[in-house]
Amino acid sequence: MSVETTLPLATETMADDVEALLNPTEADGTFRDSAECAVLLLAGGKVLLAPPTPRPKG
Amino acid sequence: MEAQRSDATSRLPDVVQEFASAVVPALRGGDGRFDVVGTVLTPADDPVAVAAVRVLGADVLAPRTLAGRTPTEADLALFEHAVRAFPPKAGGSALSAWSHRGMRAALAAARADGTARAGDGDVPDTAWVAELSWQRMTHQLAQLAALAVPGLAPPLAEAVAARPVDLARGFVRAVRRRDWLQAAGAGRWLAMTPGTPESLGLATGLDFVHHMGGADARVALHVQAAAVLRSRGDGAATPYAGSVRA
Repeated sequence: MSVETTLPLATETMADDVEALLNPTEADGTFRDSAECAVLLLAGGKVLLAPPTPRPKG
Repeated sequence: MEAQRSDATSRLPDVVQEFASAVVPALRGGDGRFDVVGTVLTPADDPVAVAAVRVLGADVLAPRTLAGRTPTEADLALFEHAVRAFPPKAGGSALSAWSHRGMRAALAAARADGTARAGDGDVPDTAWVAELSWQRMTHQLAQLAALAVPGLAPPLAEAVAARPVDLARGFVRAVRRRDWLQAAGAGRWLAMTPGTPESLGLATGLDFVHHMGGADARVALHVQAAAVLRSRGDGAATPYAGSVRA
């Protein structure tokens, strides 16, 4: 029969957690600059305004 | 045991926020004493509290080293416990080594006359400040923003003072990426670094960072610390009281 310990968790077992918070990696992120945003807007606008594909007759 | 560890891991970020929230008002002013242990709900004998103090580092005593307020004995005892319980690992990162050194320096200052002073022991590496890209340098320095206190880490401050324009670029990049904690940390370094470009508009930028990210207590702490640094004068590393001891 196992006995659950009620002793407080020793601080040394949290060392990895502490190190992880002291040395976080920078979050990935995409960032578009204004010029790229403008190009995307124009390209997207052209697609939206283009005439639909003609339906086959018959 | 695994369940306990999992619980502690999941609680740590929240307890860090709790302790940071207790420090921020003490930086804003008021009467002489501040009382972090008496303010937070997490008891000082909780291992997660000790770990949280280690994560916040020297900032737990920032009201003393930046604003001259008197810590309680309970705060000093908990801080000292965190210094002893989480030494930097052999072969560990320069960030961890600097963070720990900053804590020892802050503790020495708090137990003496409050003037921040350089820590004892070997000085961790600072070459990375000059060698890293401005993006990476800013990210790393933001993790050490608790050391942006005049006299607390002179070799590191000296290294930072050689790249104020790069750090300013990093601050802007962090804002554009909406990384408010990095922006606040970088801004705090800029607040005490000579040569920070006037065109940056640091005060306005930090106000913006606080507006957008101030719900994070660590962001609020760095912004408030930067305000204290700016109010002390010229952005140069001016000691708070008396001369800086070598």
